[in-house]
Amino acid sequence: MKQFLYFILKIVALLLLTMGLLDVLYTTVYLQSNSRTKIDYLYNSKDQNYDVVFLGSSRVNNHFVPKIFNEQGYKTFNFGITRSRLEESALMLKLMVERNYKIKNLILQVDLNINTNDHSEAIRSLFMPYLHRSQIIRDHYKTIPEYNELLYIPFYRYLHYDARVGFREMYASLVHKRTNALDNEGFYPLTSHAGKMVPADLSKYYPKRNVAYEEIKAICKANNINLIAMTTPMCMSTINREYFNHIKSVYPEIHSFENAVTDDKYFATCGHMNKAGAIAFTKVVFNAFFKPKTQP
Amino acid sequence: MLVFSTLLDYVSAMRIEQSKTQSERKLWLWLCVLINVGFLGIFKYYNFFAESFAELLNGFGLHTSPLLLDIILPVGISFYTFHGLSYIIDIYYGRIKSEKNFVDYSLFVCYFPLLVAGPIERATHLLPQLKRRRKFDFNKAKEGVYQIVWGLVKKVVIADSCAIYANAVFDHYHSMNSLSLLLGAVYFAFQIYGDFSGYSDIALGTSKLFGIDLLKNFNYPYFSRDIAEFWRKWHISLTTWFRDYLYIPLGGSKGSKWLKVRNTFIIFLVSGFWHGASWTFIAWGFINALYFLPLLLLNRNRKNLDDFTLGFNFESIRIVFNILITFGLTCLAWIFFRAKTITDAFQYIKRLFENGIFSEQYFNIERYNYELIPLVLVFIVAEWNSRNQIEPISGKFSWLKLSLCLAAIVALGVFSDYKEFIYFQF
Repeated sequence: MKQFLYFILKIVALLLLTMGLLDVLYTTVYLQSNSRTKIDYLYNSKDQNYDVVFLGSSRVNNHFVPKIFNEQGYKTFNFGITRSRLEESALMLKLMVERNYKIKNLILQVDLNINTNDHSEAIRSLFMPYLHRSQIIRDHYKTIPEYNELLYIPFYRYLHYDARVGFREMYASLVHKRTNALDNEGFYPLTSHAGKMVPADLSKYYPKRNVAYEEIKAICKANNINLIAMTTPMCMSTINREYFNHIKSVYPEIHSFENAVTDDKYFATCGHMNKAGAIAFTKVVFNAFFKPKTQP
Repeated sequence: MLVFSTLLDYVSAMRIEQSKTQSERKLWLWLCVLINVGFLGIFKYYNFFAESFAELLNGFGLHTSPLLLDIILPVGISFYTFHGLSYIIDIYYGRIKSEKNFVDYSLFVCYFPLLVAGPIERATHLLPQLKRRRKFDFNKAKEGVYQIVWGLVKKVVIADSCAIYANAVFDHYHSMNSLSLLLGAVYFAFQIYGDFSGYSDIALGTSKLFGIDLLKNFNYPYFSRDIAEFWRKWHISLTTWFRDYLYIPLGGSKGSKWLKVRNTFIIFLVSGFWHGASWTFIAWGFINALYFLPLLLLNRNRKNLDDFTLGFNFESIRIVFNILITFGLTCLAWIFFRAKTITDAFQYIKRLFENGIFSEQYFNIERYNYELIPLVLVFIVAEWNSRNQIEPISGKFSWLKLSLCLAAIVALGVFSDYKEFIYFQF
């Protein structure tokens, strides 16, 4: 039995060693990658100057066209990430500040995402490779239940989030396989809507005070960033459009842009505009808050 | 259910043994068999029969709404019912003496490594081991640990990875091209093999830690040269159960050709139905019976009993060709096993052969259909090289192989999308 216990101990040691080595390998690869996601691009950059930065979910990623701002003399980047929630947007803003980004204006999408204080597992996973390297990320996640396992057990974070930062993603990063996440200054256009529009149903949505949004407001104030929080368009057949009015009652400073584009021809799905819709909407937003710096 | 079933078999066995007359013995046997099968029937098959009967009546224009039971299928019922039945039948035929110690008998039925998904043990094999005083055997325990680790590789690396791709293909087969459909069927073949044989390896390995050998359940079935050989190597404990307690009592391969054919179809259909109350499982059993039929009629079903080695000769090419054909036929049958309905299975196969597009396809799971192929190929090579032993870790360079397996489990395993063992539902 003693011999067996010794044998098991050796296996446990071998397992820990393997996990330690894999952790080093994966982390090294991710630290050298800056072209696969907006998060690795952000983490591996510093000292950037932006006139305008967009943050939010797919309703930013697919809705704001930085080119329109850039053509008017505003250096702009769309940092919106599909499936991201306000919690992840707050962390991205913290990282931008930590990495010495100089941002004049932050346009933040605050509409459907204010319905919850929850986080996005898919996007949280993308921050995990940097957990040991960034105090900002550690502080942001120190209250989550699995924090100790993620931080102290080697490789656990890659194992826990294997679908997003597991072997496939590590290999793609290793061979520098590019994605289109950074094309068009971060804007990802959707193709035109085909077939009948399925209405979105917001009847179960109700805006609440949001911890991450409050955090973003505080960061902007502390760093002299002009925060423009706004709702973005949804198709007119959306059930319970009253939801947008309720947002105003919780946070009066949020600008209402849900009706900025209304025609169905501008939508890919009820919650997402197509490229033409995104261009039209971006122009509306630009004209509402900015003036051209350069003459056409 | 488990306690009742255990008590029933325990008491019935002693009653059979104590019976003075043959008719009394028979009475206790049938009573026990009927109650056991009855419970299995109610829990597992009642709704299926009620719905099928209602559909049949609807077909004749008689619209009925069947009374369905809203009950949960007890975990492992198919397995422990078969444990008990084999025990009772063995007692009846005098192959073993009834177990007087209720604790020992309960342990035979409830032995945890095999309770929920087998292997389906025999009292003649397991009970004597449970009663024997065992000393801890380091070499056996080490063998067990290697088998557990290899079982984990099969489950979390192979089966669960293949499941992601197979699900993506089977759930959206209408939009898949021929290459994706072909790979979907192959991925499912490896999913079910990795899942079930992985569980069996973990069960057998765990049992070895206690010094107990369970029945071997898989013997590298995808390297079979014909369907008969495949069925000698796939889910061995179930196939031999049906052979000993159903096929042979029905007459087996003795008698006229018609009887042989009848018995073959019965055993395959029952085997399919054992897996679940669905026409897809029955169809799967039926297709395997059809595959088996030519071998039976030509007396070639026991042709490939020997081991084989490959070399650079014509015979080796023939063997590899036969293995590939057998695997292809197996994959085709698995489509019925995996599909939600028989119509889905037929449409899947129709599209597989009619679509004719063999280009790479991007799935909605953000992966390409071909990405898993290298992993499956590595697994095939590992299995091929170790086909004459229980698992590939033991032997030369065992620590290196163990390290690779552990690395594969943590680096290539699927953890965020945990999937329960498929055979837990049976």
